[in-house]
Amino acid sequence: MLMRTDTGTAAPSLPEARPAVQLDGVTKQFGDATALHEAWLKIVPGEFMTLLGPSGCGKTTLLNLIAGFLDADAGEIFIDGTLVTETPAHKREIGIVFQNYALFPHMTVANNVAYGLKTRGVEAGEIKRRVDEALALVKLTGFGDRKPRQLSGGQQQRVALARALVIRPKVLLLDEPFSALDKNLRAAMQIELKEIQQRLGVTTIFVTHDQAEALSMSDRIAVMSAGRIHQIAGPQDIYRRPQDRFVASFIGDASVLTGKLLSANETMAQVALGPLTVEVLAAPLAGLTAGADVDLFVRPEHLIPVDGDAAGTGLPGTVRTQVFQGGHVDLYIDMPGYAAQPVLLRSSGAHAPSMPKTGDLIRIRPASTDLVAFPRQGD
Amino acid sequence: MKQRPFLGWFVSPAALVALGLTAAMAAILQYSVRAYVPGSLNVGGLTLDNFTALLRPLYAWAFWGTILLCLLTAVFTLILAYPVAYALVRVRSKALKSFILIASVTPLFLGEVVRTYSWMIVLGNNGFINSVLKSLGIIDRPLQMMFTTSGVVAALVHVTMPIMVIMLAAGLSHIDRNYEKAAESLGAGPVRRFMTITLPLSMPGIVAGFSTAFAWTFSAFATPQLIGGGKVSTVSTLVYQLGFASFNFPFAASLSLAGLVMTFAVIALMKRAMRPVERLGEQ
Repeated sequence: MLMRTDTGTAAPSLPEARPAVQLDGVTKQFGDATALHEAWLKIVPGEFMTLLGPSGCGKTTLLNLIAGFLDADAGEIFIDGTLVTETPAHKREIGIVFQNYALFPHMTVANNVAYGLKTRGVEAGEIKRRVDEALALVKLTGFGDRKPRQLSGGQQQRVALARALVIRPKVLLLDEPFSALDKNLRAAMQIELKEIQQRLGVTTIFVTHDQAEALSMSDRIAVMSAGRIHQIAGPQDIYRRPQDRFVASFIGDASVLTGKLLSANETMAQVALGPLTVEVLAAPLAGLTAGADVDLFVRPEHLIPVDGDAAGTGLPGTVRTQVFQGGHVDLYIDMPGYAAQPVLLRSSGAHAPSMPKTGDLIRIRPASTDLVAFPRQGD
Repeated sequence: MKQRPFLGWFVSPAALVALGLTAAMAAILQYSVRAYVPGSLNVGGLTLDNFTALLRPLYAWAFWGTILLCLLTAVFTLILAYPVAYALVRVRSKALKSFILIASVTPLFLGEVVRTYSWMIVLGNNGFINSVLKSLGIIDRPLQMMFTTSGVVAALVHVTMPIMVIMLAAGLSHIDRNYEKAAESLGAGPVRRFMTITLPLSMPGIVAGFSTAFAWTFSAFATPQLIGGGKVSTVSTLVYQLGFASFNFPFAASLSLAGLVMTFAVIALMKRAMRPVERLGEQ
């Protein structure tokens, strides 16, 4: 059976459980450049953890360090409670799916999948049984005798997944596995991968620069930039309660409105936005005094058009562009004095005919939920 | 032809060269079926005698010896060139990469005769190797290396190395490093990784390099002539003796043609024989 008995269910275990993967201050330098700066990370057994960030943020370096393809300059790596910092890659018991799948071109599909079992000295009958089982898992029964080049991109990816899973790895590493697939196939493979991952309960580390992919698939996301982990949290928290400016602007769309801090208590702070007052989380504004300039990050779906033009109910702006997106309509609104860049308002497409047109004056206000503000930057 | 207005201009010199070569081959073919007139540079009437003469044991042995010499040279060149090519492709330091490239390719520009003379200095009875061994007290009398097959092979390996390194490096550089990483993650140690992934995937380069080394050596003349000193007979040295010592052009021509056919045949056989090796990873 491919089913792992030690983790049982797909639901992530409690954080107190022994971490499947643990990084203690792992640092990696390439020459003078710090590719990874003191990464601390605990991944619980069965968890689907995503490393998300723009290219060059250190996520692939981190993956290579866990796989053992790179040596850490400082810090320790544990897999399943065992210190592996000095362990060579071929003894780490990990499965990897590469961006280009890296199926051995001179071997059949069955021999590709069997490779990791042969290196472990599994006897022939058992190899055949487990290879068949793994191919069945990825819905490729009967494809064993084909060569990788005879398969489509999606099929090649399934073989890569079967090859990585058949050895019952302690951790499954996925390095941007969907980036080579077209949009429709990608969505189907995402669902399928997630199902297989949950069924087997295998601890998975997924590297991507695609935030939509990260938000839809992950149990938790580690958002990275310039070699640092900015925030580790569930998709909802990452989206609704970003810890810093980078996370707020990298995940989802956000417009920046300028405001002033009025007051703050332990948890919430009040920010003046022209004639309006809005509540935001206090934590990111810690240390600021009343009257300080702050930047308010607002999601496009959290901006509401205000009926009528009574001052005090909304902020005035001019519609710069109206973009019909099918399911919704995007309005880009110029708001001089409140925002340096056009502000994005997203509205359900159902009201499209009654939507303001380009050049219309409009009043908007932020909805009262999920607003975050950060101290004004430099200038 | 509107897209490539200069195609004709570029092709014509190549066509001229090809025409020249074809004419030369045709001349050799023509000579090989003519009778030898002793004491004259002119040839007689049509005959197949030149080809039946090839079956005499002396020439059969020369063919066999040449093939053996070529195989030995190709094998040793492959064994020595593979690590160099591997290092050339895989070394990270750019300075070291350039050094390996220059060191392995420079001999190509020295010319066969210069390289062969330098080997005579190394292999001679009072040469570099013998003087060093003598001064170390390891040997009393010089080792005979000049005028032996081993001496010829050593020099031929050196002559063939650059081309082999370049062809192997070309093959190795096409191997995606992720294949080896994938094998590594699946539990394969360095030896297994090399035997099941790197080596089978570098087979195209090996086959190309080996065939080229074989053909290259088969046609080598200066090295077997100078280092073999007449004691190591190859097809090319025989052709030289027949053509320019005995002035038997017809027989020299038939020997050349037979050599050409032999080279093609051996290379074709080799490619076939290497097919199972290409499937190494399937085991």
